[in-house]
Amino acid sequence: MKRTLGALSLLFLLGVLLTVASPSNGVKFGPGGSEWTKYRYTDEYYIEHGVEEVGGTNIVTDIVFDYRGYDTLGEATVLFTAIAGAVALLRPWRRDGDE
Amino acid sequence: MSSERGMSLIVKTTARATIPLIGIFGAYVVSHGHLTPGGGFQGGATIAGAGILFLIAFGFGEMEKRYSHGLYSALEGLGGLAFLGAAMLGLGVAFFYNTLWHNGPLFNGRPGTLLSAGYLPIMNLAVGLKVFTGLVSAMVAIAAYRRWGE
Repeated sequence: MKRTLGALSLLFLLGVLLTVASPSNGVKFGPGGSEWTKYRYTDEYYIEHGVEEVGGTNIVTDIVFDYRGYDTLGEATVLFTAIAGAVALLRPWRRDGDE
Repeated sequence: MSSERGMSLIVKTTARATIPLIGIFGAYVVSHGHLTPGGGFQGGATIAGAGILFLIAFGFGEMEKRYSHGLYSALEGLGGLAFLGAAMLGLGVAFFYNTLWHNGPLFNGRPGTLLSAGYLPIMNLAVGLKVFTGLVSAMVAIAAYRRWGE
């Protein structure tokens, strides 16, 4: 019963997402021309001003390390926490017959 | 235990030849992160791939001799601190203010050259060091976890 309800709700969510993501009534894929300046004006700014404001010719690195550095800081923190958790959990917790 | 000795002679010889190449390529990706695709995370993962190849080809016993847990943990923390330190260089204006690029003494060359882009190369190196040491220590922790019941 519960599994059926879960599967039905998953199906419902999939239908909703497919409806929203269809180009006729929702997200447009591959915007160009006037749609680019309407929906992607932030990207336009980064592409036009990235090299002079940050100095790196790799726009992705400019965004990731300069414009949105906090995000990279959080990402590095996530990685640090993951490694610390993995190493802490994988320690030998019982000295049973160590070779 | 024979599985501690690693894989066959062909694999070991090939690993001896390819591990430096993978390391050099990873260092290239890290150091040119502000010019070409790639960067700290990608290059660090590439160098960690060289470390994992060493671990698999030569076995855990050989890795245990060359791996120091304290050193790798300290280097991972040092990478994070270098990242934060580079972010705090322009703290007089704002956090993450790229003061080396705007009025710094170094790393302010023409865009496209290696010594440009302010703190971006420093941050790439820091993140690369952090990712490399973190992934290698995680893999060693997994490899050292336990035997399959001897």
